[in-house]
Amino acid sequence: MADEEKREGAGADAWDATQWHVVEKGETLSKISKKYYGDPNLYMKIFEANKDILKNPDLIKIGQKLRIP
Amino acid sequence: MKSKKYWVPVLLVAFGLLVVSCGSANKEAATAAIKAAEESWNAAKGEVVKYIPDQAKGVEDAIKGAKENFDKGNFDAALAAAKAIPDKVKGLAAAASAKKAELAKSWEEMSGGMPRMLDAIKSRLDILSQSKKLPENLDKAKLEGARGGYEAAAKMWDDAKAAFSGGNVADAMAKAKTVKEKAVEVMTTLGMQVPAAAATKG
Repeated sequence: MADEEKREGAGADAWDATQWHVVEKGETLSKISKKYYGDPNLYMKIFEANKDILKNPDLIKIGQKLRIP
Repeated sequence: MKSKKYWVPVLLVAFGLLVVSCGSANKEAATAAIKAAEESWNAAKGEVVKYIPDQAKGVEDAIKGAKENFDKGNFDAALAAAKAIPDKVKGLAAAASAKKAELAKSWEEMSGGMPRMLDAIKSRLDILSQSKKLPENLDKAKLEGARGGYEAAAKMWDDAKAAFSGGNVADAMAKAKTVKEKAVEVMTTLGMQVPAAAATKG
């Protein structure tokens, strides 16, 4: 699980505790929510944390880096 | 010939006075040197004991040795030992100061990163507490353990900040290291990625 979480700008801030996930093919916010929280219904937590790059919880792109709160 | 006989006791008395005089001078010098050694040590002791405690015993042993020689009447040895102490103390005071600066730098770095680690953990715990089912590799007992670990770490972080505010950098850093270890443990339990600085630094 943790190996799929990517940190932004590794080395730039060695204390950065932000948890990241890079979207892969076939993933949805619900699937990502299930992966990290065990519950797909908590996908809005991820959406809320990424409102600066997501306009719609149903529209995520492969390769997008999402914060996982 | 007869007059020479009178000179012998006079010379002996003069020699005796000279010896007593020299001994007295050495005693005074040793007394002053021991006093100077103790004063220099008393001035630096607090910081040395706080930041490089393992090196404090050497000075205390040296002062004790000088005093023992003094008490035995070995004033030359007491003087030699005591005279060397202030320079040694000066070196230790500089080393303690350098250690304090090093710890303050580490604290500055850690005090910027630790709250972010704790915030990230709290955020994840809050969400997991709303979850109807936990993710793989995490069960209720582990989650409760992680929550307890987080609470202990957050409390100790407050203690570390209070120690730093009180001027006790060494104690603050010791507590901060414990907080970091606990935070790393909790993050690992929760399947979170540990910040590079927390994972690699001592």
